[in-house]
Amino acid sequence: MRGSRDPLGLLALPGVAFLGVAFLVPLMLLLWSSIRGVDGFTWLGYWRVLGDEYYRGVILASLHLGLITTLGAFILGYPAAFALARAKGYWQVVLFALIFLPLTVSIIVKSFGWGIVLRRDGILNWLMLNLGLIERPVRMIFTEGALYAGMINVFLPFMVLPVYSVVRMMDARLPDAAATLGASPWFSFTRVTLPLSLPGVVAGASLVFSLSVAAYVTPSLLMGDRYMTMSMVMAKAFLNLRDWQLGAAMAAVMLAVAAIIVVGASLLQRMLGGR
Amino acid sequence: MTTSHLAISGVSKRFGSAVVLDDLSIGVAKGEFVSLLGPSGCGKTTLLRCIAGLLLPDAGSIQVGGAEITRLPAHKRNVGVVFQNYALFPHLTVAENIGFGLRAQGVARAAAAPRVADALALVRMSEHAGKPVTALSGGQQQRVAVARALVVRPSLLLLDEPFSALDRKLRETMQVELKHLLREVGITAIFVTHDQEEALVVSDRIAVMNAGRIEQLADPATLYQRPATLYALDFVGQSTRLSGRVLGREEGLVLVQTALGVVRAAGSFGTGSSVVIATRPEAITLDATPGMNRIEARIREISFLGSRTQLHLDLADEGDRGIAELPRLPEGLVPGALVSLGFAVPDTMLYPAA
Amino acid sequence: MQRLGIGIAWTALILTILFLLLPIVVVIPVSFTESSVFRFPPEGFSLQWYQRIRNVDGLLSALGLSAQIAALATLISLFLGTLCAIALVRGAVPGAAAITTFMVSPLMLPGLVFGIAMLQALRMVGFSDAWSSLLIAHVVVTLPFVMRTVLGSLSLFDFGMVDAARTLGCSYPAALWRVLVPNILPGFISGALFAFIASFDNYPVSIFLVDVRTKTLPIQLLNYLEISPDPTLAAVSTCLIVLTILVLILCDRMVGLRRMASI
Repeated sequence: MRGSRDPLGLLALPGVAFLGVAFLVPLMLLLWSSIRGVDGFTWLGYWRVLGDEYYRGVILASLHLGLITTLGAFILGYPAAFALARAKGYWQVVLFALIFLPLTVSIIVKSFGWGIVLRRDGILNWLMLNLGLIERPVRMIFTEGALYAGMINVFLPFMVLPVYSVVRMMDARLPDAAATLGASPWFSFTRVTLPLSLPGVVAGASLVFSLSVAAYVTPSLLMGDRYMTMSMVMAKAFLNLRDWQLGAAMAAVMLAVAAIIVVGASLLQRMLGGR
Repeated sequence: MTTSHLAISGVSKRFGSAVVLDDLSIGVAKGEFVSLLGPSGCGKTTLLRCIAGLLLPDAGSIQVGGAEITRLPAHKRNVGVVFQNYALFPHLTVAENIGFGLRAQGVARAAAAPRVADALALVRMSEHAGKPVTALSGGQQQRVAVARALVVRPSLLLLDEPFSALDRKLRETMQVELKHLLREVGITAIFVTHDQEEALVVSDRIAVMNAGRIEQLADPATLYQRPATLYALDFVGQSTRLSGRVLGREEGLVLVQTALGVVRAAGSFGTGSSVVIATRPEAITLDATPGMNRIEARIREISFLGSRTQLHLDLADEGDRGIAELPRLPEGLVPGALVSLGFAVPDTMLYPAA
Repeated sequence: MQRLGIGIAWTALILTILFLLLPIVVVIPVSFTESSVFRFPPEGFSLQWYQRIRNVDGLLSALGLSAQIAALATLISLFLGTLCAIALVRGAVPGAAAITTFMVSPLMLPGLVFGIAMLQALRMVGFSDAWSSLLIAHVVVTLPFVMRTVLGSLSLFDFGMVDAARTLGCSYPAALWRVLVPNILPGFISGALFAFIASFDNYPVSIFLVDVRTKTLPIQLLNYLEISPDPTLAAVSTCLIVLTILVLILCDRMVGLRRMASI
């Protein structure tokens, strides 16, 4: 056996090279341009983004949005994943498909549909009027509540699916074992089920958080300029204001946030035993 | 009759239209080891789960130590279970697994630690205390599972096929070891198994189960030598069985015509009934003495197994089996040879044809 | 108490599904309305909005463009990604784990950022062809999906089977074709499905690379929504939903939906 490299490994080259050129290089350039001003190197871009109260507020607003979305997705999605994992046979396939389907529907369609749901003459108001819960149609479009609901709607499957795949792997006998050892259902849940589901929760939460922090379509459709996120500022800077430096700096901040989430999540996973 | 430590009476359970447990009753004395033996689907695991409180029977009552526990949820019953694949908590260490039940029942850490240490010593796993359970071998995991169940001092220990996940050599060692351990602790134990050899090794009594009922409840020797039904005969040990027809009675014994000869056995069957006669392979000898049953058969195959030799006999009829077991390999015997075999009348069993 | 927990779980699941399907389902009846408003419940029944699809400026061409780009990007990604996956699983490549993370990384980062980066980089080299820019960017977008699923399939594959096939008379390529390909088909197809959808639906990357004449469907739809919203949008959306369901059913028949999504 000679020490030559296995030629099979070279098959990776085209893919890696492509991604390197088409992905890595532009990103590096972007970061580069965020510290290049009109005449030489400057931190002005970052200074504007992090120093200006308005932009700081935008960053916080994005993080806030991400947090609410993740929390909401967790509250609804965590128990739902358990039910999905324990569903039997045919039902599990059907229910799974129903959760998977919304992922495949375009986000434009979903946001559009959400608008129809919330309109003054839309389905929610119609329902509430007919059930006698309200007397006049309530304005729900362009409210923060509607934004949160719309965000949770878009990102909920990304919480359910990772938790579901972890819970599915769990030994179904463990709660039985805990019970025969004298554990009350609550003790069994908090000391056995919950800890073992944590890797799925971390995966789901980090996915939802990173996606929702960077969301563009949903906030702009549902709130427009009333709720500015980092992505909207960035898009505006590039498309409307032609302010490349600002845009690039904001992009760099978004990248940093994404990187922190990814690293943080994988550290957490390693702490949890990486299973 | 002494009051049983575990008293099950009239327990029934059905899933949909299938009757899984059919009016089952059994009593187990304190400190006794009983096996529920049967093929998959006979209801033994279902019965185990009912005793453990993981399943609610449709009818009947379960009492432990005189107390009615039929409707109690599992975590209030103090019935220990060793699961088939051990169900150890993968996110906890060996010591934490063992201490789980104590923590669940509110025992303070200070009081729990010595008990956990004792349990570890009991199963000889003290030096593995801090290891994650996923790093253990099958045999080690089983010991942890046993220690975990015992440390909370259950009134009863249920073991669901505890050796099935181990390889053969380890299985035999662990069977003896576990029996010894549980005797030392003095606990009442119920084993569920489909392996008749395992049942014979560990049990004081064996309950042979069939389709939700107990066909025979007896100590291993009685079960082996006097199986009550063909089912029990087939389930425990090997046998030679021949179908035949009753010719009549002679000197208090039933005369049966089989394909290999006329055989006499104790029993009461009318002339002309279809019956099956059976005997254990080691009861068959090449040197038949007067008064023994004699048959003639052709040898199909000879298997030398070291401590014994098996002669497989040529039999055409469906359901018939001819196996003779001899302590030594006789000279000059080859497949195809015709031999004369004998077995004593008291060793001959008689059953109605299935 | 255990019953309570199970009850909560199932309630949550039902609510989740209803909640998720709500915006999708309401679009369908609205597309059949007679009036030009999005009112619910819709008034009347009419197919007029479906007929209008053909007439709306640029809608069909945007649809065509999106489909074209998605198909091509998917194919290229499948090619590059499968080769890469084979190399990583079998080729004893140094730093395979790091390379894998790198290949999947575009998923982790905000698409918008990449779109801008791409725009800037292309401008720097003076490249301005919208179509090609879109294609290149969409390959980057779709490659991680293919990598993940094909890699997952490959790592579950027992290469001993290829050896077995060779001892039974197949040449190496023939063995790969007859034994490897059918077994990684789930990963292949699910990767292709995810890739196609990701490209077809993509907004954040595309928005920066389109020009006046070259618009992808999501961008055109959004334009339409902002400028002159009418139920034609609902009709288009309904068509897309039906199409998606058909594709999912097709994939389920071929490969099995759960196998696809769990890999």
